[in-house]
Amino acid sequence: MDADDQEIFIEGHPCVVVDSVEMRYRVASTAAAAPEADVAKPSLLRRAVSKPNMVTVHALNRLSLVVERGESVGIIGRNGSGKSTLMKIISGQSKPSKGAVYASSTPIMLGVNAALVPDLSGDQNVILGCLAMGMSRAEVDEKFNSIVELSGLEKSIHLPMKSYSSGMASRLRFAIAASVDPEILLVDEALNTGDAQFGDRSKLRMDELREQAGCVFLVSHSLETIKDMCTRVVWLDKGDLIMDGEPEVTVKAYQAFTRHLAKGNNISATKILDEAKANLVATEIRGRSSRRSRG
Amino acid sequence: MSADSAIDPEPVAVQPLSVDMRRLTRVGSRPSFLDYLVKLWDFRQFIFYDARARVQSGTRRDRLGSAWLLLNPIFNGLTYFLIFGLLLNTSRGIENFVGYLVVGIFVFQFSSGAITSGARSIRSSKSVVQAFNFPRAALPIGANVRELLRAVPLILAMLLIVVVLPPAEKITWLWVLVLPAILLQSLFNLGVGLILARIISRVHDVTHLMPFGLRAWMYCSAIFYSYDRFVTNPAMLAAIKLNPLFNVIDIVRDCVLYARVPQWQSWAILAAWALGALAVGLVYFWKGEESYGRG
Repeated sequence: MDADDQEIFIEGHPCVVVDSVEMRYRVASTAAAAPEADVAKPSLLRRAVSKPNMVTVHALNRLSLVVERGESVGIIGRNGSGKSTLMKIISGQSKPSKGAVYASSTPIMLGVNAALVPDLSGDQNVILGCLAMGMSRAEVDEKFNSIVELSGLEKSIHLPMKSYSSGMASRLRFAIAASVDPEILLVDEALNTGDAQFGDRSKLRMDELREQAGCVFLVSHSLETIKDMCTRVVWLDKGDLIMDGEPEVTVKAYQAFTRHLAKGNNISATKILDEAKANLVATEIRGRSSRRSRG
Repeated sequence: MSADSAIDPEPVAVQPLSVDMRRLTRVGSRPSFLDYLVKLWDFRQFIFYDARARVQSGTRRDRLGSAWLLLNPIFNGLTYFLIFGLLLNTSRGIENFVGYLVVGIFVFQFSSGAITSGARSIRSSKSVVQAFNFPRAALPIGANVRELLRAVPLILAMLLIVVVLPPAEKITWLWVLVLPAILLQSLFNLGVGLILARIISRVHDVTHLMPFGLRAWMYCSAIFYSYDRFVTNPAMLAAIKLNPLFNVIDIVRDCVLYARVPQWQSWAILAAWALGALAVGLVYFWKGEESYGRG
């Protein structure tokens, strides 16, 4: 393929560039080891020291994306499709096995599952979390009240975190993370936490953040949310990129796929998948360091 | 695609994109060593807040609260006094054995506590590491500041015991020299803690070995006996006197118990160890910056 002739030139500065990222894990499997392994001499020492049967899991196959300022990217897919893996890689929480992510500023992930320091009280965790995000003490004091208000924990804020219910902890976690105004925002199912009252408040703050942010990545199982909020949707399945395009089109294809699966029509579901894949145009990043004009 | 199909699925079409990379930085990349130190300085408020908050909450679970900070080494001292002082009589030839023992135990406990919590700081704060982006060395440094804060009542108690218990020692200007000795000691603790923290974040098994190492170190540090009585070979004696912890203990004993100006050799050995360990520890820890909290 004569690549240079059809190279697309992106003007301006993108927010996030995901360059040929790939993620594999080696994990222990409880399934019996393959018979050819260690067949020669399974000595006692070896059995005691050797790890259980290790299996490589391809969490994410090679994937490249360029996201420009002003885009909101929704990521959809079934469980285990690599959505959260991709988010963790973009936010810097995991290091990809291959490739790299480049960003114009530090991406901030609004997750709900990270615990803070259980022995410290809620207010201490707020201060600690804000300082850990690089705020100064004065900025923390300024924002403290609005964080506590957003978390809705007014009375329990002085109790140790370990006495919190998981819902309370995730509300606090969200409130802390949402206290900065990031340029690159990653949201992983954060809207589904807490009760209805908190849901409204957090949605309000989310909308504010999204308006200010340069670009947003959103993972949600609610396709309505995705269609509402995103300008571009990426569909992943078992670690492969299936579709990348307009929200309406992508969500529709994904819905058709899941409908067939639910009915047990595996063949037609696979057909949709294969069709989408056949039409997919994968991107390949060519970094340039000068603003050369197109000749 | 099933998880164990090894081949990379080739995309049907590839679209090269030319992207301006000038303003982008790789997510989670390690800054240069000097930038790293500057970043650490920027996070000093985080370090101190973390240390202070955890000192207060450390013993909240116990009924006697912070009194355990003192009771712990006192009971320790009593145990050793019973066994080595009364039962085995290693005290022969040592002037003011109770003071000798108390100084040894209190000073050694400061190091063993600081090294242990520094080494475990990355593992034990994994959730904070995964949730926020900050220079990771802030955690071992915070752990050491915390241990230093905890050591203040400990040192005061030690001095009080020396003054109160017979043979009571007199307070002299030499007591001021305890401060620089303890400061050098905590720099040494930090350096060792940084090295161990990186090792433990990769090979967790080392945590099981640490108590043995520290115990062996304690028995080598002339806490309840004097080197001169058991080691006769002069070359050997010179070698074991290079032990940094022995030198701290020796300096403190000279100042507090025997009203002698400590030898300059002791200071030189201690300073060399402290600065050397800190330099090696910082560089070694910085090299692994991208790997902490992952997996």
